[in-house]
Amino acid sequence: MNGTCFPRFPRNDLGMISATNLTKQFNVRGTPLIAVNNLSFQVSDGEVYGLLGPNGAGKTTTLRMVMGLLEPDSGHVEICGMRSDGQTTEMRKHIGLISTNDGVYPWLTVREMLLYFADLYAVDLQVARERLEELARLLDIGRFLDQRCSTLSTGQKQRVTLARGLMHDPPVMLLDEPTRGLDVVGSQTVFRFIDLLKERGKSVLLSTHRLDEAERVCDRFGLLHRGNLQFEGTLEELQKLTGKQHLVDIFIGLISGPVDGEPVDPARMVITTNE
Amino acid sequence: MKEYLNNGRLWRLCLKELRESLRDRRTIITLVLMPILVYPLLSMALQRLIVGGISKAEPEYAFLLGTQDEETAQRVQNLLMEARRVNKIGISSPIKITRSDESTNKSTVPSEDNKNAIAVSADHVGFSIVIVEKVSLASALGDAQIDLAISKLDVESVAFERETFPSYQVQVEFRQGDLRSESAMSELRRALQLLNDNQFESVRQRINARLPAVVQMKANGIGQRLDPAASIAGVIPLVLILMTITGAVYPAIDLTAGERERGTMEALIATPAPRFALLLSKYVAVVVVAILTALANLFATWITLSFGGLGQAIFGKQGFSLWILIQILPLLVIFAAFFSAILLALCSFARSFKEAQAYLIPVMLLSLGPGLVTLMPNVQFTTLLGIVPLVNILLLSRDIMTGQSELAPAFAAVFSTIIYAGATLVVASRLFGAEAATSGSQETWAELLGRPKKTRLLPTIGELAIFLAILFPVFFIASNLGGMLDLRADSAMSFQAVLLVILFMLLPLAFAWYRRLDLATTFRLKSFADPLDSIGMQVARSLGFFVSVLLLSSGLWMVAFESYLLFENWSLASHLSEEERTKLKDTFLLIPFWLVLLTGAVAPAVAEEFFFRGFALSAFRSKEAPFRSVLYTSILFGLFHVIAGNILSVEKLLPTLILGFALGWVAIKTNSLWPCILLHALHNGLVFGMSRIGETELTKWFGADTKHLPMLWLVGGGLSIMAGITLLLVASRQTRTYENIA
Repeated sequence: MNGTCFPRFPRNDLGMISATNLTKQFNVRGTPLIAVNNLSFQVSDGEVYGLLGPNGAGKTTTLRMVMGLLEPDSGHVEICGMRSDGQTTEMRKHIGLISTNDGVYPWLTVREMLLYFADLYAVDLQVARERLEELARLLDIGRFLDQRCSTLSTGQKQRVTLARGLMHDPPVMLLDEPTRGLDVVGSQTVFRFIDLLKERGKSVLLSTHRLDEAERVCDRFGLLHRGNLQFEGTLEELQKLTGKQHLVDIFIGLISGPVDGEPVDPARMVITTNE
Repeated sequence: MKEYLNNGRLWRLCLKELRESLRDRRTIITLVLMPILVYPLLSMALQRLIVGGISKAEPEYAFLLGTQDEETAQRVQNLLMEARRVNKIGISSPIKITRSDESTNKSTVPSEDNKNAIAVSADHVGFSIVIVEKVSLASALGDAQIDLAISKLDVESVAFERETFPSYQVQVEFRQGDLRSESAMSELRRALQLLNDNQFESVRQRINARLPAVVQMKANGIGQRLDPAASIAGVIPLVLILMTITGAVYPAIDLTAGERERGTMEALIATPAPRFALLLSKYVAVVVVAILTALANLFATWITLSFGGLGQAIFGKQGFSLWILIQILPLLVIFAAFFSAILLALCSFARSFKEAQAYLIPVMLLSLGPGLVTLMPNVQFTTLLGIVPLVNILLLSRDIMTGQSELAPAFAAVFSTIIYAGATLVVASRLFGAEAATSGSQETWAELLGRPKKTRLLPTIGELAIFLAILFPVFFIASNLGGMLDLRADSAMSFQAVLLVILFMLLPLAFAWYRRLDLATTFRLKSFADPLDSIGMQVARSLGFFVSVLLLSSGLWMVAFESYLLFENWSLASHLSEEERTKLKDTFLLIPFWLVLLTGAVAPAVAEEFFFRGFALSAFRSKEAPFRSVLYTSILFGLFHVIAGNILSVEKLLPTLILGFALGWVAIKTNSLWPCILLHALHNGLVFGMSRIGETELTKWFGADTKHLPMLWLVGGGLSIMAGITLLLVASRQTRTYENIA
């Protein structure tokens, strides 16, 4: 469909993650609330896509639909060619998930916990053991592999969580607000982790409200507001379009009023749609 | 699902949950510390309360009569011995005389425990005489060292009809308002009154009085004698079960709501692992912890009862034997399995520890209610109570402990508890993690209880489990009601038939409609001919199925007949007298044969096929291979036939298993319910027809005085079964099943 406010930019049509016309509506105390409205985007391999937006923009709902945890009212998701409507189980094997509130099992050792998740992803035990050694090296968790998780420091726990997301070596990684509540060192670890994912050619879908961080790590962005994708593109494209330098300014301009000299009511603003 | 059941993966998942709960100190505390603390305390409390209440052959203590001197003591002793002789009942042990100074003061004084224990059966009351020295009688009585004080006992000789008779004047002091002392008083009065009565009686006889006694009373006890042991035996399972629950509560919360609190829930449900596998591993862990707790508690109980003397008081000489222990343990395991499922279902719904606890507390309190019911000694463990969760296991344990357990309610208890556990587990697996995926709890319930939006071809095993949990108690209560109504034989049969149609046909149909299941595929209602076949092929197949069903039924009824005979001794009819049996047969013969066929063959065939070969088989087929599905269905079919009203018809198990298996096989091969209905109806009709003809005629036909069918018939039957199987195999070649299409 045309009739968009912003021009659409060429994308990799064979994206590893491809969401098509996702819509999800919730009932909050009787009144319907559209959490995600006709959302479409694609992420190709080796690309980091930032799903940005303020709290309540629909980021988590989108991620859950991508993960197959939540069934969209309409539309579908495709991960590595597998569709969310019908192949959910297969699809999930190809997705890794790391989110803000991820915890660890206090009574299990790091090794036990990581192997447990490998089992949940039906990874062969031998393969899982080898991968564990590799990840231990990469994420520097080898020293405390046989320690109970309850004895770990926050930073150590964070690295264990990151390792957990890679135990099944998924081609697609979803990061839900991965740096929320972390200090500089912690955030740095996450950035290095994202670099590692890129290096390995994984598609990364990152949801965050920290625009400054997104600027640093993402290749492309989708700006989400009230369930609508307001804009999609690279930083340069955004800058060119809005004449603003930083994502923060672009975003504030986008959600709070006139953009491009044109008054826009965010509620009416259905910008990107797909055929 | 498969890849989670192979390679020991499920075992490793269980191991993780077990590690998690067993490494947690809080689990260990409930597991080990509680039994160590609770039972000794409980035993002490019970001992105080109970020991007095248990009837014994010999009185452990007696009322203490205090006298001032030896002579009075002798006289009192003689009087009481005489009273006992007159009474002709009571105790053979001698009435002891002791001196309060023979040992320490304490030995003659009733122990603290006994002082308040007055619930003593009158037959077992004893008296013991104490000669009080050093202190005055009055102060000994006041200090409760004795129960009664015989302060004066004078005797004089009175002449009557050329004979002299002794006449005693007894002065007794007792403590007013003291139950024990007052009971001693009335017991003594009763004993001495006997002597007076006896004297009058002998005088009356001597003067040959025609005058009858004013009153001649004969007392007959009715009902059951209140057995205090039974009520105490009821306490023990209650305590055991409550402790088992306690052990399971913490892991159940920790492994479900705990996942959410630790923040591992989202990662967990984002994995492709099926929810049921996740929940199953948690379930296994909770059940294991519950069983470990049960074992620890059982062991502690055993120690307490064996070494505290309480066991012998409750269970008699053999005490709390190892055999009782072996019988109770599986019950606890079944109960643990049931309650763990309930706990998991509740906790799966909770978002936090606090919330989980808030859900669990009412459940724990609720389970105390039925628990208290079992403490009432006169509650009979009927088969109807056998399907009430918790109550059934409690009553069964009590009956096992007192050695009065019966087979029918025991079976109902075990079977229903397993069904409930299965259904609850299915519910739990739906609830588990649902909160993390959807944002509102209403949606979870809607998904679970509401009508699905999409139509499906086959029911799931979960739906079958839930349906069974509804069907079983309803069926059970209804068929019991039928028994209670005391209907005439023909009405009873009609009632049973209507019940079958409602519960096994209409109820599954309604359920399937509600869950938007395709009725045609769920119940195999389509024509059994493959629509892709040519018309000629369809006719040929149908004919083949029809003939093979006829062949099968003409042999299968003999199998049923003979396998029934194998276990005939177990049947209820075998316990009836010849007269009763003839009467039963006569009533049966009075029912018009068309009614027998309608209610005994057609109705059950239609109704049961709808449920067993329709709904149940389809549910199993949604996950399992044909052979297993048929096997599970036939076991279900057999078990439902074993429970007939208030009795357990074990003799029906083998015939119905065989028939169920045959019907299931026919259903799979023909892919249609109609041949099954026909086979079932023919089979039942033939069996009823044979019993209609009666033994005498049969004997005449067979020419031998045996209940068994003649060998020639059996050979013929076997051949016809084989022919039927072959024909069915041929006729069903290259048909497509719904499962294949689905």
